[in-house]
Amino acid sequence: MGKYNQAKGQASFEYLLIIALTFAIIVPTTYLFYNYSKESSQEITDAQVAKLGNEIVDTAESIFYSGQNSKTVLDINVPEKVESVVIIDGRELVIKVSSSFGVSEIVFFSSVNLTTIGANCEGVVCRIVGLERPGLEKVKIEAINQYSVDIEII
Amino acid sequence: MYKKSQAALEFLTTYAWAFIAIIVTVGALSYFGFLDFRQYLPQKCIFPSQFKCLDFALAPSEVRIKLINNLGEDIRVTSLQITNDANPPISCTPIASFDWAYSSVKDLVFTSCAGGAYIPGERVELKISMNYYAPKTPSRPLHLINGKINGKVQSS
Repeated sequence: MGKYNQAKGQASFEYLLIIALTFAIIVPTTYLFYNYSKESSQEITDAQVAKLGNEIVDTAESIFYSGQNSKTVLDINVPEKVESVVIIDGRELVIKVSSSFGVSEIVFFSSVNLTTIGANCEGVVCRIVGLERPGLEKVKIEAINQYSVDIEII
Repeated sequence: MYKKSQAALEFLTTYAWAFIAIIVTVGALSYFGFLDFRQYLPQKCIFPSQFKCLDFALAPSEVRIKLINNLGEDIRVTSLQITNDANPPISCTPIASFDWAYSSVKDLVFTSCAGGAYIPGERVELKISMNYYAPKTPSRPLHLINGKINGKVQSS
């Protein structure tokens, strides 16, 4: 009876040791990979926002110099964590992005005058409504007159 | 009856030693910092690509970062602050406002850093926030940029 109990005890002890060893490997590895991927995802969001902003501004400049009534539609993939997109003074495209260490404003400067639907403007700040939604968005860029390029979500 | 209880007691004493040994080992590993997994993470400085972080150093009482202005525009930095989540947070002498030309590199040095668990040899996470505006924009709106440094403070 005693030997039987000892054998059972040893089996359960070995089982516990294996479980403990497994946890000792899994927990730190999960922690390290989680942190590493968190930082990587911030860098990916930053790269996506930079691509988005540069694409809009470059296209707006190209459309402006193509002449009045020129237009194009861009398929843009908006990443998560974009809080708002505004145009300030017609020359700054400001994308507000949140991250684990706070909100940052990523600014793109345009050499041509940018605008959007007048109802979304307050003073010199115009909000591009809909560009803060994550996912694929269609962005219409049109040279509405000889001075401005209009940016809208369609 | 006695035989059974003796077997149970012997079983407990045998394995109690093993458990004590394991607990002492884990306690020692924890005490000497081997179980602080943050130290195995790479040291990193993260800023948006418009102000790419090229290098950084965490000296015993100062924080140095090297950033490049990738905005495509000359700017004026109005404030640059450093903090962290410790209570009380780290406190350094703030950097005075300065002009920053497009595509140029700036070595930014926060001096007299104290508090916020900023201790030589320890791993720290620092948050840096910067306000700037573009002088060419008529209304000169202030923009906020946040960055992070995750690294080990150099021993003196």
